[in-house]
Formats: sequence, C-alpha cells, structure tokens
Amino acid sequence: MRSSVSFIAIATLLTACSGEKPASSSTVTGGTVILALFGDAISIYPPSVVDLTGRLVQDQVFDRLAEIGQDLNTVGDKGFAPRLAKSWKWASDSMSIAFSIDPRARWHDGKPVMASDVRFSLNAFKDPKFESPVTALVTNIDSVHVQDSLTAVMWFKKHTPEQFYDAAYQVIIMPEHVYGGIPADQMRTSPVARNPIGSGRFRFVRWEPGVQMELVADTNNYRGRPKLDRVIIAPNADASASATRLLAKAVDLADNYPLARAGELDTSSVARRMVWANFGGVFLALNPNDRKSKNAPHPIFSDRRTRRALSMAVDRVAMLKNVFGADGKLAHGPFSASSPYADTTLHPLPYDTIAAKAAFDSAGWRVGANGIRAKNGRPLRFAIAVSPSPTRRQYAELLQAEFKKLGVQVDIEAVDNKTLNERQNARDYDALMASFVSDPSASGLRQNWGTEGIGPDGQNFLKYSSKTFDALLDTATKSFDPATRQRYTSRAFQTILDDAPAIFLYDLFVVQGLNRRIVTAPMRTDEWWANLADWTIAPGKQLDRDKIGLKPGNP
Amino acid sequence: MRRRFAARLGQSIVVTFIVATIAFVAIRAAPGDPFSYDRLSPRARDNLRQQWGWDRPVPEQYARYLANIARGDFGYSLVKQEPVSTALTQALPRTLLLACTALVLSFAIGIGLGVLQAARGGWFDRVSSAVILICYSVPDFWGALVMLTVFALWWPLFPPGDMVTAVEHDYMAAWPAFIDRLRHLILPVASLTLLSLASIARYQRAAMLDVLPSDYVRTARAKGVAERGLIWRHAFRNALTPMVTILGLTLPAFLGGAIFIERVFNWPGLGTLAADAIEARDYDLVTGTVIVGAVLVIVGNLIADLLHAAIDPRVRDQHD
Repeated sequence: MRSSVSFIAIATLLTACSGEKPASSSTVTGGTVILALFGDAISIYPPSVVDLTGRLVQDQVFDRLAEIGQDLNTVGDKGFAPRLAKSWKWASDSMSIAFSIDPRARWHDGKPVMASDVRFSLNAFKDPKFESPVTALVTNIDSVHVQDSLTAVMWFKKHTPEQFYDAAYQVIIMPEHVYGGIPADQMRTSPVARNPIGSGRFRFVRWEPGVQMELVADTNNYRGRPKLDRVIIAPNADASASATRLLAKAVDLADNYPLARAGELDTSSVARRMVWANFGGVFLALNPNDRKSKNAPHPIFSDRRTRRALSMAVDRVAMLKNVFGADGKLAHGPFSASSPYADTTLHPLPYDTIAAKAAFDSAGWRVGANGIRAKNGRPLRFAIAVSPSPTRRQYAELLQAEFKKLGVQVDIEAVDNKTLNERQNARDYDALMASFVSDPSASGLRQNWGTEGIGPDGQNFLKYSSKTFDALLDTATKSFDPATRQRYTSRAFQTILDDAPAIFLYDLFVVQGLNRRIVTAPMRTDEWWANLADWTIAPGKQLDRDKIGLKPGNP
Repeated sequence: MRRRFAARLGQSIVVTFIVATIAFVAIRAAPGDPFSYDRLSPRARDNLRQQWGWDRPVPEQYARYLANIARGDFGYSLVKQEPVSTALTQALPRTLLLACTALVLSFAIGIGLGVLQAARGGWFDRVSSAVILICYSVPDFWGALVMLTVFALWWPLFPPGDMVTAVEHDYMAAWPAFIDRLRHLILPVASLTLLSLASIARYQRAAMLDVLPSDYVRTARAKGVAERGLIWRHAFRNALTPMVTILGLTLPAFLGGAIFIERVFNWPGLGTLAADAIEARDYDLVTGTVIVGAVLVIVGNLIADLLHAAIDPRVRDQHD
C-alpha cells in the first residue's frame, strides 16, 4: 500500500518560477498565507488521514522522528534530518534503532514529548481498528521499547534497506496524554480528533468545516518559529472561481488552477505559475476479468496479444499535445518520471498501427462488413469508465477515436468519482481511466502491481499477477545497493510494459497559482508543503492580512 | 381556517416523511459509500462499513435512523466531522440569509418592473423584456462566474466570494465587520436575484395585463381616478394574488440555485453542504439536508397558502 491510486498526493515535484530565491536563510517573519485547496480534509487525525488537505495539515502540526532528505533517499538513514529525535543509534545487528528524543520538544499544550509517545503512536498506526492506510506500511516494525523517558527503541522484524524510512517517514508522533484515552471506534467522531495537538512548527487553531482551517506559528517551537504567522486552508469547490480569487488577492495559492486559464499566470502581476508534478500517472486499466462473472477471463483483455495491439493503436504523444499542449508529460510506465526510481529509457510499446492491426488479426479479431472487428461473432467493443475530470474525459474521447480507426468500438461511461471508485473495487468495468500516486519508495509498487497486492488488504485492483515482476521487484527492494535496486526495478517495470495490463498515458501534474509576494522555501519533491514554515513575505510586499500578527494571548 | 391549517400541517409531516424516506433509500442505492476512498483496502472499507452499521439491511438502518431522529439525533457527518445537526444549524442561517435577501429583492424588483411594463407598454416594455429575457437565458453557474469576474476582478467593487474577509474580519470593529459582511453578500445575492427576477416580472406583467381591461378598472377610470392610483390601488392589488402562488414555487428554485451560487462564491451554506454530502455519499448529511430542504419548501408553500387565503376572500370562504 505504499502507492495509492488517485487523489492521495504523497510524492510531488514543485517547480517554482525562475528568479525566486530560497528564503531558508531569511530572518523575515510574519504574514498570512491563504491556501485555496481542492476540498476539505476528510480527517486530520494522523492514522486516519487519507487526502491531500489532511496530509498538509498533519505535516504542519505534527512531527516525525526524522525527516526525509531533499533527495528522498529511502535506503538506510542517509539524508534524514533530526526532528523529534535529535539523534539515533543503530543496534549492531540493525534489528533495532534507539531514538533519542529532543529534550526541548514540547507538545502544543506545553507538555514534554516522551519516548512513550513514540510507542503509543506506532501502536495507533498498527492498530487494525483504526483502519489506517499506513498499517500495511509498518508491518516490519515489531514494537517500541521505552528505554527511558527520552529514549525509544524501535524493533524490527527484519533488517531491510528501508526500515529507517518505514519508521521515520510513515509514523507520525502523537501525544499519548491527548489521544490515549479514546477508544479506536470512537476516534473518528471525537472532537479531539478534529482539534489536533502536535509538536510541529504550526499549532492548530480551528476548523470550520467547509469554510477554513487556521494554523498559527508556534513561537516557542523547539525547531524555531515558522517564518509565517499564519496559514489558512480554505476549501474551494470550483477551480475557476478559485483562480479568480487568487488574481483578486483574496487567496494566495490556488490549487488545481484550470489548465485553460494557466496562461494568465505568466502575464499576471499578482500571481505566478507553479507546476506540481507528483509521483503519479494516469492510465487506461484493462480488466483481465469479465465484468459480469468476475472469475471468468475478459473476452477481450485476457488475451495479451489484444492488450498489446490496443497499446500500439494509441498515439500517446499526439494525445498529450492535444490535451495539454506543451505542458504535458508523457508516461513512461507504471511510475512518474519525477519519482526517484523512474527510468525514462524503458521501451513502452510503440505507436504502430500496422503492428497493431497484425496483432488484432493474429488474436482472431477480424474486420467485419461494418468496419468493426469481431471474433466468433463477438464484436471488438468495450466501454471506458471515466470520472468527471475534464482532462480524463477528453482522453477517453481521444482513445475512442483512436481505437475506432482500427475497427474497435468504444463506449464512454461517464460517472462520478464515487461510482468510479466503487466500480473499480467491484471490478465492474471493461476499461477504466485510473490514476496512481506513489511515495518515494518503489517497494510500494508491490501493493499496486504485485501479486501480494491482490486480496482484501491490497490495492492491486487490476489483479495483475506476474511471477517475473514479483521476483524482480523483490530483488530490487531487498538490495542495499542503489544501482542494483534501480536495475531490477527497471526490469520489473519493463515486464509490466511488455504485458500491457494497462495503457500508460501521462504523468500527473497540477498547475498552481501562487501570489508573487510569497517567496517559497526549497521545495521537496514529494510534498510541496514540506517547508511551508519557511516561506516568507518581504515586509515591503505585505498585505493588510500579513500585518495582523499573532492573536493576543498566543505565545 | 384553523382546520385547514391543521390539515396542511398533517400533510406536511407526511410529505417530509416520504421525502426523507426517498432520500435515505436513494443515497444508499447510489454506488459507493463514505468510505470509498482509493487509499483504503477493501478489508478496511468493509470493517468501517460494519462499524457504522452500513452492512445491515436498509430497512434496519432506516428503523435505527428514525429512532435516532425521534431522539433528536440526525446522525454524524463524516465529511464535516461533526454531528449533522451542528452542520445544518451552521449552514441553514447562511443560506437563509442569502435566499431571503434575494427573495425579497427579486420580488420587490420583479413586481415593480412587471407593473411598470404592463402600465407603460411601448419601448420601455420591449427593451426591459429583452433585458429580462437575456438574464433568464443565462445559466446560473455561468452568470455567477461572470458576475465574479466582472465585479470582483476586472472592476473590483466587491470581494470575490467567501462570507467575510479571511483573517481581517476577526479583528474588525462591529461596524466595519457589518459592512464587510454586507459587501460579501452583494454579489451572491445579486446573482441569485437575477435568477428569478425575470420570471417574477413576466408573471406580474401578465397578471396586470389580465386585470387592466377589467370592468372595475374601466369603471374607476370613468369615475376619474388618476392613472397612478388606478394602477397601484385598484389593478395592482388584484394582480398580486397570483404572485403569492409564485412565492411558494420560487423557494425551491432558490434552494436549487443556491447550490450553484454558493459553489461559485464559496458560500458555505445548505447548497454547498448538500452538494458535498452527495458527492461524498455522506449518508446522514444527505438525508438531513433533504429533510431541511423539504421543510423549507413546505413552510414556504404553507405561508403562500395562508397568504392566499388571507388576501383572497373567495379562497377563505371556500375553506370555511
């Protein structure tokens, strides 16, 4: 479950406009940043966080033991920076790591952070009653032993290259004295879960559902006061209206800026364009099973030759230009080109209509009198299920047109997100426009494409199963050598590309608009908000809302 | 009259019950549920469904829901992370503020315009009818976006949405805070007013044109009643009766229109709440918003009925 499908943004790449200098060394403080994000948080209690907004809030209010580095290395502890743990010590057999808690660290209610909080947090993430999406990612962590009030020893079941990453990246440290007394089945409805107390550089102030969430600077934070005074997270349902609000200076960041209007950011004196290319992509999933009788093979897609023919029938480059112009990024496989384990030298099936026709013919799909291919009286006809996303609908229509040229009839089933999700889970579709977003480690691909991801605890909704892929990815993720990891990961990807269980169309990216008065800190490629506390606004450029300062009584 | 009111009240309760039942069943029949997230495994989803009782048969869920309602518990909203009653009591006044202001304005302007069109005729009637027709033809969502772009961006007279100015409003004194709230109200109210203004004006114009050739108007004119008095005191009062019926019908249109207007102007009212709830399959919140919407429509119609009876003796006599 390291990777997930659709809307969870775990891995990102933010490209700031040229000319902006990092402000990490600046001592300027003050200012309010209003982030207009697409949708309110579903939950802000860390084990239940499942969406982008929730994750953004969680990462400002809570800390981890250590923070992943700018290079997103997931092997060993190289690049990880101390957070709640001021240092750590590996056991000689690498089966445990002793984390020394920073004695200066305090929860926002003033109580000190203790080693017992680490034990509590791990248990919360592992507790099946919370149904946390992180549970499957921390199975290698056995337990936490509290050596003393400031030393937590984390024990692992196996020595793996990513055991430190599992402990530091996946587990958010929460205060036991706040959450400890609440039974798991009552946590979702508990007021405590929506008024988090953490140790991050911003403290949580309030959440008016559907209106805004407010975070303010924790001025006594052990890592130093954030450069901003306040962050307001305002959900915006309509992207176009949100863009107008950005240009009218009512908000500072508009997420999901409409592509059709993105050009106005390049000439605007108010806002500039940012492109957040996350570790995700969009693909056309081809169901290997019949949508009616789930265990029977799909009459079209169960045949590898037909899947390959369909892949070769699609001019992905032309489609990309058609939909995104010069901004689009072509998919190279089941990974994003911006992810650390990407390999853009792989060989996806080429656009070759002659080869595609031959493959259809050899699979028995012959062109009939009506121009539609058929085999044993069954026409080569299927449906593409697609969400309301205008981009994906456009792609579905282009695919329909491309396939038609080769005698394949496609119907488009436009449905809402929940319906699409339900059909995906129930495997009630022929082909489906799906997306994935993965985190910095390739090992998560096991959950999406590996055989172990098939089943009630996995996320391999396509039920793709290849022993070759499993073995290659297993070898890759068990290796401590980066070159070996990459080599085997690439071979695993090539296996998928050759099997063509899906047609990989484009890498996900989001255009955002950001007010020009804001200077961003160095961007980490997995989360654009990772260094939000170090964003600055120069005193000369501050608006009225920037000058308000902290509320009286706030330390 | 009292009996009629009691009968209408009884009907209203039955209608609300039927509407709530339909909403309860329909949202559960729709694909997906509140826990249909990509990031949750099928097993986790099943466990959560079980925890919340959504794996039980729908009649059993409904019986439990009714029992909870009887205790005043409308359930819990997973989208808003708060009890449904809290979400509704926050959203309802916001929508009522928007809808009632727009309702008053659209009736005041629409009726006035309709009367003037009928009374003056000529170029005024033709030009204003054309303008009204244009307003009527514009889709609500697009019209609201145009208003936002023109009056908040190109010509920044008003704030571009939200109920108040973020952050700064908390620090304003009472009067500036009131003005701030008022300024934020203008664009959404104007958009919603334009939605129904055209039809109200057209109805009023038609009603006036029906009344003006009447014998009593001709008689009054023959008696030398001034034209202004003739129109406003004699014709207008009789032409107003159909507008009371329109009032009852306009309220549902306003609630429907509020969904689009609130979305564009980021106004966190009942419309936004209902749209979010449906999108997220937030079962209890969907049923709650439908119940509140139904009650509003019923109350609107009830008021219209009572007004109708109050101003038209024939209706009153018929029921008495």
